[in-house]
Amino acid sequence: MSLYPSFARPNSLAQASELLAGLSGGSVIIAGGQEIMPYINHGAMQPDIYIDIGGLKELRGISEADGVVSIGALTVHRELQGNAIVAEKLPMLADAASRAGGGRQVHNRATLGGNLVAMHPLYDIAPALLALGAEVELVKAGETRRTSLAALMHETSHGLGSEAILVRVLVPAMAAGTGWAYEKLKLSGGAYGSANAAATVQLDAGRITAATLMIGAVADRIIDAAAAVQGLIGQAWTAAAAEQLELRCPALVKQPLSDQQGSGEWRQAMAGVVARRAMAAAVARAGQK
Amino acid sequence: MDDLLVQSVLVQWRVNGKLHEIEAMPGMSLLDAVREQLGLTGTHMGCQTGHCGACTVMLDGRIVKSCLTQAATLPRAEIVTIEGLKRADGTLNPVQQAFWDEAGFQCGYCAPGMLLSAMELLAEHPEPTDAQIDTGLAGNLCRCTGYRSLVRAVKAAARKLQDTSGQTPG
Repeated sequence: MSLYPSFARPNSLAQASELLAGLSGGSVIIAGGQEIMPYINHGAMQPDIYIDIGGLKELRGISEADGVVSIGALTVHRELQGNAIVAEKLPMLADAASRAGGGRQVHNRATLGGNLVAMHPLYDIAPALLALGAEVELVKAGETRRTSLAALMHETSHGLGSEAILVRVLVPAMAAGTGWAYEKLKLSGGAYGSANAAATVQLDAGRITAATLMIGAVADRIIDAAAAVQGLIGQAWTAAAAEQLELRCPALVKQPLSDQQGSGEWRQAMAGVVARRAMAAAVARAGQK
Repeated sequence: MDDLLVQSVLVQWRVNGKLHEIEAMPGMSLLDAVREQLGLTGTHMGCQTGHCGACTVMLDGRIVKSCLTQAATLPRAEIVTIEGLKRADGTLNPVQQAFWDEAGFQCGYCAPGMLLSAMELLAEHPEPTDAQIDTGLAGNLCRCTGYRSLVRAVKAAARKLQDTSGQTPG
């Protein structure tokens, strides 16, 4: 660490990438600051170099082409809540962004990129994006790479935050009639959920033809509950189906978190509860436009 | 590429209507810049983790927690602190007056966040529902009031702004 850190504000993605590639470490990327400033303020993080990516135009803007919504990493939660393209094509993302903690002050400044790079198991955006099959575009040492968000979240060498830059998030537009719900169970009025679930569902003549379900805030990684929803395919959403889903989910939580948001055993049980509630709400919404 | 690296950033901010040039050291929060370099101590230091909201300021027309914002990342900015809320004649603005009338202040530590949050909320929702008030104030902690008087104050402020709208702009 250095007593006198340095600072750079590159004005293009190429310049930022070249700068990062030439540094030997000790650098940190900053944009909104919502994730790292608490660590800086309390001395838990003492970077030698700050790279401010807030001026990179390549990381801004929301657009749609060929059924894919492209969202710049610098998009703040407030824009996700109010953007017309997100509201129409990705309503679950808009809803999840509105459920994030920290209040309006944080929604006004916290970026999508920072939220994802934090890889925080209690955060709200990732479960929704995973349930929607999002991909991400990264730049490292001048090379652009596209990968699924799911794969990225299981990589330990992604380098995001110090070597690689998350540029955009690419999300397939939700098909018309898709049911969706983001369910967040909170023990208190605080920011974090004790368990959360993001679900999408397609119905045909009252029977489930496709479904996705992600469960967050119960383990150190977000859990893809595909194994639990498999049994729903071809079925109608009945009380028995709901109970079956609720009972299948806790077993997917192999190593539950045990923290201020609740004990491990309880979190496992709540994984089933939020899964059931999210799927029920998604089914209720399916087919409506 | 190393020539991009600097030891400090000269930033230009208009704060409560007055232009300032400040030398921002890397890592320094907007909170420290406002309090220590500009001497505007109405912006309070609380948790420095983003939970309490006492350090709230308005940055380019949106409320933010100044402890979570790094000063050097703002080369140009328009900032309003709690000192900038009073009217030109020195009297309280309608939202401040409503907080005063309804006991929305006790110790006053949370006042920057509560007032600025209420002002942003009322700009977006002139007649807020209880749920909108809860969401609008959610980024702020108050240890005194139990929040009931704060909710009353926001409702009173909404009525005041409705009464005066159409008479005098702003």
